[in-house]
Amino acid sequence: MDAIIGALGLIADPYVLLLICLASAFGLFVGAMPGLTATMATALLVPVTFFMPPIPAMAVIVTASAMAIFAGDIPGALLRIPGTPASAAYTEEAYAMTAKGQAETALGAGVVFSAIGGIFGTLVLATSAPALAEVALRFSSFEYFWLVCLGLTCAVFIAQADLVKGMLALFIGLGVALIGVENPAGLPRFTFGFTAMLSGVELIPAMVGMFAIAEVLRVMSAAVIRLPPAHTVSGSIFRGQWALARRYPLQILRGSTVGTLIGALPGAGADIASYITYATAKRFSKEPEKFGTGHPEGIVESGAANNAAVSGAWIPALVFGIPGDSITAIVIGVLYIKNIIPGPMVFVNQPQVVTGIFVLFLVANLVMVPFGWVAIKLAKRILQVPREILMPLVLLFCIVGAFAVTNSPFAIGVMLVFGVVGFVMEEHGFPIAPVILGLILGPMLEQNFVTSMIKTDGSFLGFFQRPIAGALGAVTLLVWGLMAWQGVRALRKRRSAPEDADQLQMR
Amino acid sequence: MRVHDFVCGAALLLVAVFLFTYAQTIPPMPGQKYGADVFPILVSLGLGGFSLLLMARGWRARRPGEPWIALAPWARDSYTLGNFLLALAVIVVYVLFEETIGFIPLAIAILLLLFLKQGVPFRRSAIVAVVATLTIQFAFSDLLRVPLPRGILTDWLW
Repeated sequence: MDAIIGALGLIADPYVLLLICLASAFGLFVGAMPGLTATMATALLVPVTFFMPPIPAMAVIVTASAMAIFAGDIPGALLRIPGTPASAAYTEEAYAMTAKGQAETALGAGVVFSAIGGIFGTLVLATSAPALAEVALRFSSFEYFWLVCLGLTCAVFIAQADLVKGMLALFIGLGVALIGVENPAGLPRFTFGFTAMLSGVELIPAMVGMFAIAEVLRVMSAAVIRLPPAHTVSGSIFRGQWALARRYPLQILRGSTVGTLIGALPGAGADIASYITYATAKRFSKEPEKFGTGHPEGIVESGAANNAAVSGAWIPALVFGIPGDSITAIVIGVLYIKNIIPGPMVFVNQPQVVTGIFVLFLVANLVMVPFGWVAIKLAKRILQVPREILMPLVLLFCIVGAFAVTNSPFAIGVMLVFGVVGFVMEEHGFPIAPVILGLILGPMLEQNFVTSMIKTDGSFLGFFQRPIAGALGAVTLLVWGLMAWQGVRALRKRRSAPEDADQLQMR
Repeated sequence: MRVHDFVCGAALLLVAVFLFTYAQTIPPMPGQKYGADVFPILVSLGLGGFSLLLMARGWRARRPGEPWIALAPWARDSYTLGNFLLALAVIVVYVLFEETIGFIPLAIAILLLLFLKQGVPFRRSAIVAVVATLTIQFAFSDLLRVPLPRGILTDWLW
C-alpha cells in the first residue's frame, strides 16, 4: 500500500503529468500515421527519455506505446489502412462498418475496449509480476539458461511463418551480441582493434536503425500512394458502447486474457495477439457469417487484446529481463541505461519503480479515453500530413537520437548499418524482432550457459537436476522437437506439392 | 534487390565459417574448461546449420532459369531508387561532415534535399526544414544538453 501511495506521489508530479500529455499526443499521432508503428514511436522516444529519471522515462514510453496501439485503429476505420500492424487484423471489418455509416461505433469500440483490455492487462501485470518475481528470486543460472532459451524459441516459433529464416535472424542477433568484452572471460572479441566496439554494439542505435531507419527506407523506396480523403467523424463515438459491452462480455474477457498471455510470451506482441483473437472471435461467434461485413464483435475482442498485450509484455520484461515484444525490448535497453537491471531484484531494490510502472499503465489506459476522443475528432487533419515531409523528419530525428546516446558519430554509423540490414532482411522475408531479442539476450544466455557448464563440469544432465530448471528444460526441448517435426512435415509437403513451396517461399 | 534464398544461405554460411575460425583464436579462460570461446562456437554452428537448411530449401525450390539475384521493383524505378539512395547518402554525409559543418546547416540541407527530391514545393520545403531543424536544435541542445556539433556556426551560436 505504501508503495502505491509512493508511486502515486511520483506520478502526481506536474512534470510527469505534462510528459504523459505530450507522450499521449505523440503516441496517438505516430500510431495513427500509416507506416509509423508503435515500436517506432518507442524507439524514437528513447533518446529523449535518456535524459530523464526512471519514472518520467517510463511514463513517456508506457503512455506513448499504449496510445499508439489504439491509434492504429483510426486510419484502419477511416482509410482502410492500419496505422500499426496491431490493427491490421480487423481493418477490413472496421472499414466495412464505416462504409455502413457506423464509423463512430467502430472507432468508439476501438478506444473503449482498448482501454478495457489495457486495464485488464495491467491488473494481471500488477498481480502476477510480484508473485513471479518471488519465485524468480530463487532461480540460478540453470533456470535462467532455460528461460532465455525458451524465450528465444518462442520468439521464433510463435511469430514466424518461416522457421528457418526466424532461426537465422535469431543467430544473427546472437552473433552481433558476441562483439565486445561483455563475456565470461572479459576478453575483447570481434572488435577488430576498434576501441568503439569494445563495449559491444550499442543497443539504442541498433534498435533505432532496425525499427525506424529500416521503416523510413521502406516507405521512401515504395511508390507514392496518395491517401484517399478520410471520412469525417461527426457523431458521438461513445453512443452504443455500453450496449456492445453488455452484448459481448465473454469476448472482452477472452480478448483481454488471450492478449495478455500472448503479450507475455517473448517475441509475440500486440499484432499477433490481435490476429489470434480476431480468429477466435470468429471461430466462437454465434454469427460468424457476419464477420467481414462490418460486425463489431471481432473489433471488440481483438481491440481489447492488442492493448492487453502491451501490458502483458512487461511481465517477463520486468520479472526476468526477457522482453515480451519489441516495445519491451527497447524498454529493457532504456532500463539498463538507467542502471535498473530488469529481474526479480528490481522488485526488492526498487519497488517504487515497479509500482510506478503499474500505476502509469492504469493512468495511460484511463486517459486514453479522452485523448483518444480528441484524436478521433482530429483524425482527418492528422491523416493529411504528407509522408514526403514526415519521413525526412523521422530520419533527421533518428540521426540526432542515435548521436544523443553516446555523443559520438559512431552510433550514427551503427544505426545506419542496422537500418540497412533491417531493410534488406525484411525484403528477403527475414523477421527483425528475433535479431533484437538475440542481441539483448545474447550476453545473458552466454553468461548463464557458461556458468552452468562450469558448475556441472560440462555435464548437460546437471541442467535438469533442479525441479524448475528441469521443467523449463523439458518444455524447451518439447518446443524444439515440435519445431523440428513441423520443419520435416513442411519439407515432405513441399516435395509432394512444389507449387505450394513457391508460395511459401514468397512469404 | 532480391537475392535468392540459396545465395542468402551461402552468404550466412560464410559468416558462420568466419565466426567459427575466429572463435578458435580466442584464448581459453585460465583454469577453466569453458571460456569465452564456447558460445561463439555454438552460435557459429547454429548459424551454419540453419544456413545449410536455407540453402537446401532454396536449391530445391528454385525453378529452372530463375535468377540468383534480381532487382526488386523499387530498384528498377529511378524515382524510388533515387529516394532510397539519397536517404542513405544523407546519413553518410552527416557522419562525415557533422564536425566541420555543424548540425544546423547540415540538417537544413538534408531536409531540403529530401523534401525537394520527393516533390514537395520549394517554399514549403524551406519553411519546414528551417523550423524543424531549429526545433530539434532547441530541444536537444538547449533542453537535453546534447552537444550537437556547431561546426561553422561555432562563433555565432548562443
